[in-house]
Amino acid sequence: MSVLPFPSFLDDIKEKGLKRAVFEGVNEVVERLTAGMNLQDIREALRGEAPTRKPNPRLQPHADGFWLHMRPSYFHKSVTGVYPEFRLGWLSTYFVFFETITGIFLMVFYTPSPDVAYANMLAIMSNVPLGQFVRDLHRLGAEAMVLIVTLHMLRTFFTASYKKPRQFTWATGVILVFLTYFLSFSGYLLPWDQLALWAVTIGASMFEATPPEIVGTNLNLLLRGGPEMGANGLLRFYLLHVLAVPALLFVFTGVHYYKVIVHGHSLPPKEENIGEDTAKRVPLDKRVYFIPDILTSEIMWIGVTTLILVILVTWFFHAPLESHADPQITPLGTTAPWYFLWIQGALKLGDKVLWGIIFPTVYVGFLLVWPYIDTAPSRRWAHRRLQMTIGFLIMSFTVVLSYMGLAEFGVVNSADITVMHHMTMEPAHNHMGTLRPIPFEQLQAGMYTTREFAVEDAAEAQSAVAAFNAELELPPPWLQGQADAQPVGEMVLAYLDTQHLPLTRLNFTTVPSASPELREVVEEFEHELELKETELHNAWGVVIITDVQENLKRIDVMILWEDVVIENGKVVFDAEGEPVLNRDENGNPIIRMNSQHIYIHRDSQYFAAPGA
Amino acid sequence: MFNLQRLLVEKIEHRILVGTVSFLAIMAIVGWIAINEGGRMAAFERQYSARSIERGAGLFANNCSTCHGVDGRGVVGRAPGLNSPYLFGHDFLAELNAEQAQLESERNNASTTAERLTEIEARLTEIEAEKQVIINQINTALANTGGSYNPENPSRLTNLGWGGGLYNFVYTTLVHGRPTSSAYWPQPMAAWAQTAGGPLRNDQLADLTNYILNWDKGDDWTLEDLYAVRQFPIVPADPTTIVASDVETVGTDAAAIVAELGNYQGDPQNGMALYTGALACAGCHLNASVAPLTEGTWTRVNEARLADPAVQALGITDGVHYLVDSIVAPNDYVVSGYPAGIMPQNFGDRLSYQDMADLIAYLQSQDGPAQ
Repeated sequence: MSVLPFPSFLDDIKEKGLKRAVFEGVNEVVERLTAGMNLQDIREALRGEAPTRKPNPRLQPHADGFWLHMRPSYFHKSVTGVYPEFRLGWLSTYFVFFETITGIFLMVFYTPSPDVAYANMLAIMSNVPLGQFVRDLHRLGAEAMVLIVTLHMLRTFFTASYKKPRQFTWATGVILVFLTYFLSFSGYLLPWDQLALWAVTIGASMFEATPPEIVGTNLNLLLRGGPEMGANGLLRFYLLHVLAVPALLFVFTGVHYYKVIVHGHSLPPKEENIGEDTAKRVPLDKRVYFIPDILTSEIMWIGVTTLILVILVTWFFHAPLESHADPQITPLGTTAPWYFLWIQGALKLGDKVLWGIIFPTVYVGFLLVWPYIDTAPSRRWAHRRLQMTIGFLIMSFTVVLSYMGLAEFGVVNSADITVMHHMTMEPAHNHMGTLRPIPFEQLQAGMYTTREFAVEDAAEAQSAVAAFNAELELPPPWLQGQADAQPVGEMVLAYLDTQHLPLTRLNFTTVPSASPELREVVEEFEHELELKETELHNAWGVVIITDVQENLKRIDVMILWEDVVIENGKVVFDAEGEPVLNRDENGNPIIRMNSQHIYIHRDSQYFAAPGA
Repeated sequence: MFNLQRLLVEKIEHRILVGTVSFLAIMAIVGWIAINEGGRMAAFERQYSARSIERGAGLFANNCSTCHGVDGRGVVGRAPGLNSPYLFGHDFLAELNAEQAQLESERNNASTTAERLTEIEARLTEIEAEKQVIINQINTALANTGGSYNPENPSRLTNLGWGGGLYNFVYTTLVHGRPTSSAYWPQPMAAWAQTAGGPLRNDQLADLTNYILNWDKGDDWTLEDLYAVRQFPIVPADPTTIVASDVETVGTDAAAIVAELGNYQGDPQNGMALYTGALACAGCHLNASVAPLTEGTWTRVNEARLADPAVQALGITDGVHYLVDSIVAPNDYVVSGYPAGIMPQNFGDRLSYQDMADLIAYLQSQDGPAQ
């Protein structure tokens, strides 16, 4: 008679004793959770023993369970090693989940609004325990995922695994590649720093080029939520990043995975006869069962991959965070994210519509339909010379285009800007101005000149600086003797006054010996000017350090040179190979000046970024 | 051959071992990071506020230094100093005041002996004298400075009755500007926040505020810092305390004023004080892009302005008449290149005949070559 009016666990205890009743209860729960494997089955599997029950309980989870119904119950032995698949497909999926988990952590601390997004980033960095760690993981995972997915596509191409019957699997794969790119791209904007705003502005402006104009304009409006990237644009990119694109990605991942079950993994080409597909007819001795071999292997790879990522973000990689997004200031050297550099490079070839819209569309379309073009039955390399050639040509072309997309290619800045930018730039793209990492105590207030380093012998430095001071008292050589000619020093003072640096007099000295790093920078400044002497004729530079507040210095970098004639970005030379000078109405050279300045606080700690 | 794949992953027990070790290593590293998070977050905070000050310095130079001075010590007649003990409420009498308060409480204590009381009284007299010395020193040193500073009420926030902290005071001032200040400065302070129609984002205002507050020297402010301030805030008159003055103001009829001025002797020294101080003319007339320069005014009036047909059309034929008309009715004739309506229209209600005579005398002394 039951103690309760219905059969219960208590009856079991009465009947079998506590220990046995509990064990059987647990065993049953485990069997239900695993959809078919009880404790004994799991123990056997993990010990590498053969199953003792029939029917084989290790196949049950594939038949009855949700999670494993998307995985084949056994693999061919030839596809379980590192070669030929390098685990790239598996790694891609790993990153989908990895990014989802780290992303949800970050979502908790993030609001998609230009007013607070950047402040949220600062809070994640300064006020959320493990905030920087998770952000670094998310960013590194994103870059790695883009890379892995691309490599996965290349591997599939080179082993011709896209051939019948897997044409459609390949097509969904191409869609997944571009969804991955777009997922990464849409996340780029969210920190709302300068890097984000301008990389995405460049990317999004391509949509504007879509012909006809009415389509382009409206597409741009839809994407950005206004003519400029602002509050609406940020919200839209956020929703794309956390909702729309991941949803599509999961759908296509499901399809992609289901196709693997239907068609099996394609075998290394040499193991099959030409035109045959034996993936679904795996001989018994070649079968490697998912449980336990593939499953333990995958769990191990989760551990190993995550460990590698954790080590990388702990010691070698930090996600960049530049200064607050500012639509008014375009930073020098702005580029799209690296995986879209090829489009930016293509844009430099000419027409925006042709190279920015038609070319990428054709490129993607070509990839999508490739299995239906290349229908030759053989997967052997020897039989695919034309296909391999096309593949390598496209790869090379993409690499060249990506190189052309870099800021260094085809974008000419004037020499003075380039030299000064090199010294003062804010940290961006793993670079920063050479003045910034100088230790604060070495930044002794004073006026220093490149003339100190223009002499051969270091012993002459002192007199070179004295001569420079004397030179500043006089007008330029061609004006000397004229009554109203302004001394060069006064021109410099007047110029600096317009830069809100009111100085009463100039007095240059040699760089103090206690400031070796400052010395190096000024010396390098001189070398840079020498390298660019055709453009910056008779140039000299000065570095002026002033105290602003007790723990704050201002550093002005200034270049003065004689203007030369520049046509189409190139200096014009006369018959003797000398650069042609620009001259005023009296035939005198024209002096030009330019300067940039930065402020350095004692605690701002500019270090070279890890890996830079 | 050494085969990593075979060694590590071919046997199931190897896989379990490698996987377990990896997970343990991850947990160890994350634990190690977690332990150090406090220090890392503090370091980031410090680094970030330092960079915020750097950006603020750039913004200040571009947007604020024209009126508040490159060094933040204010520009006479235009805007008050921010790099000033007054803004940060530093009290130069604090030590003496503290001693005084302590002695006074001791004096009021019934248990204090008569002998001690005499000592206290003597010391209190001394303190009063020492305080007076400092106050006199400060008042003498600041005699020619614009605005007002009272050593006994040395905190800007207290004098304004501001309830919040200094950060919020500076930040809110930046957000909204000082629209009413046009009543006592030549130009009002503009609203700087984008939310209030200005050019700067909130994070930039925070940078600027951090930079301004970085002037604080805490207890290390010196009297030299105080004397270096060129302009203190002008305290606007409380409208309820204003009584009708019995001094007759000049009104706006230039010809009548000129006729009356014959009865007054102008003092150029006092005119200069009015020009650079109370009337704050110099705030605009020191910058040729805002208003004609002070220097060379008298030469310019006689050589250029009186020759202008537009001036002759007003029936103005001599320099004094021109100057008076320009002061009391600035829009009658506006020098080409400058917009009308910039100069305040109410000087006729503010100037007495003596003030006007002094001003004219000062301007007549500006007969150097016009730059």
